[in-house]
Amino acid sequence: MVEKILKLFKSDLKVINIGLEFFYKSLKDQNVKAVHVVWQPPPKVEKDLQDILSKIL
Amino acid sequence: MAIVKNFVKKNFYRDSVQLLHLSEEAKKIEGVLDAAIVMGTELNKELLEKQGLLTEEGKAATDNDMIIALKIEETANIDEILEKVEKLLTAPPETAAETYYYSLESALDALKDANIAIVSIPGQYARDVVLKLLERDIHVHLFSDHVPLEHEIELKKIAYEKGLLVMGPEAGTAIINGVALGFANVVNRGPIGVVAAAGTGLQEFTVLVSQAGSGITQGIGVGGRDVKSPVGGLMTLLSIKAFEADPETKVVAIVSKPPSPDVQDKIINYIMENTKKKYVTCFIGGKTFEIPEKLKGRLVQTKTLHAAALEAVKLVDEKLYEEAKKKLFLPKEEIIKIAEAEIAKLSEKQKYVRGLFTGGTLTFETQVIFKELIGDVYSNTPLNPEYQLPDARKSIKHTVVDLGEEEFTAGRAHPMIDPTIRLLRIVDEAKDPEVAVILLDFVIGYGSHPDPATAHLDAIKEAKKIAEEDGRHLTILAHITGTEKDPQNAKKQEEILRSAGVIVLPTNALMALTAALIAEKKIDEKKVDKFYNEFLVGKY
Repeated sequence: MVEKILKLFKSDLKVINIGLEFFYKSLKDQNVKAVHVVWQPPPKVEKDLQDILSKIL
Repeated sequence: MAIVKNFVKKNFYRDSVQLLHLSEEAKKIEGVLDAAIVMGTELNKELLEKQGLLTEEGKAATDNDMIIALKIEETANIDEILEKVEKLLTAPPETAAETYYYSLESALDALKDANIAIVSIPGQYARDVVLKLLERDIHVHLFSDHVPLEHEIELKKIAYEKGLLVMGPEAGTAIINGVALGFANVVNRGPIGVVAAAGTGLQEFTVLVSQAGSGITQGIGVGGRDVKSPVGGLMTLLSIKAFEADPETKVVAIVSKPPSPDVQDKIINYIMENTKKKYVTCFIGGKTFEIPEKLKGRLVQTKTLHAAALEAVKLVDEKLYEEAKKKLFLPKEEIIKIAEAEIAKLSEKQKYVRGLFTGGTLTFETQVIFKELIGDVYSNTPLNPEYQLPDARKSIKHTVVDLGEEEFTAGRAHPMIDPTIRLLRIVDEAKDPEVAVILLDFVIGYGSHPDPATAHLDAIKEAKKIAEEDGRHLTILAHITGTEKDPQNAKKQEEILRSAGVIVLPTNALMALTAALIAEKKIDEKKVDKFYNEFLVGKY
């Protein structure tokens, strides 16, 4: 049941960073292979517009 | 003459660390005397006001709006300055563009063999992202806070079934294969594995183990709620299983604030029935438990991070332990000497301690120690609910505040990254003639401010000056959670602080002890002995 964790312990880290960009920079500073996902909160939609959208989609 | 201008960008979002960086860049623009670019939360508006940077325009901003607050020379061209600020805001990320993706799917396609992810998006959005990662058999470090408890339970159950780690939510720290994830230090690798439901607890523990000459196989942060009944210790137990099977790990440490009693029993029973390695528990503030007969000799119970680190090292190598005890952790005579020297300088009126902390676990540990030595203290996160500060911004008598709590971080970077709030608070505390000691933690390493000691120098000098002009001596104690290998270099940080008259202690526990002795103004050697015997060594 812990095989996947033991495998992680023996592997080079390959990291997906989602959110705070400075964590990605920290990884790069440590020469760790990483990619960064730029995340933005979903736009706030007015309720009436959301109702219309939910009907269309 | 300087003028202050606020410009509000409606519904414009940048994360708190990016905003801090933007503020620093804006300060460098010609004609700008001071600048702060922040989201328009109440806390940020209040701080802008304190810094003399808030106008009516800024006051009208909401949480979703960005405030560009500028103090400029009267003769400066505001349009040119604004144009430059706009450029900063819209500039693409400076790092190589090929590693930036705008959806998780495209990132997963690009890094097909990804084995771990760090998720630090607002908590209410985290579930869907983590589910996708677990589906791909990717371990997760979930830094986000405000993840609903039901999401945490759901995610951890799935992860547990699949044998995957979900480290968090609210896990600030992890060290996997020597790599610092989130806020973490550069520590020696070695035979000690640690699982922690306490972020700065994990940092302090790994740092002290490293300073004592041993090292860490893995440091797994699981988030504070993991050891509470609803989550049931799922990731703590999974980590123990992994450490038990990991050939590199010889000793396992478990660090947390008090677990729910049922979870604590589950953990101890699991260790008793299913493991063979040596274990150290550090349930800070928890009740001492009876060590089962079967575990005697291979499980050590400790009350502080200091003791946990020492005992873990002792289980690895007794000789190393003896050296570490002498070299690093100061015998009681030294602590008494420091305290006596400070007591002699204090006026009669000065009697209170004020702990201004950035680390949650360090705040908690300090309160646990104070409870033993000087009784309950006021806090925004008190041990005893009767000691809840009505207003976290104002200290009462003995006070210890966690500046990393919500009321100080809404829409702002954590105080380990942005010391502004603490700098203002140090000066405030110095104005109180009853304050004897200020305690400061400096948690360095990856993720933290690049040079926190220097960033604190002006405030420390100002605080000392305020006290001096009032005919008082103000004692400032500090502890640095960090190593010489950290980007900030703990030794350099220490030198900078010492140059400003700050007394630097080697562990958080010893800082708390020293502060308590100074505040009490008399040294009770028996009490000190008891503290050393109960709080700085373990129980077998």
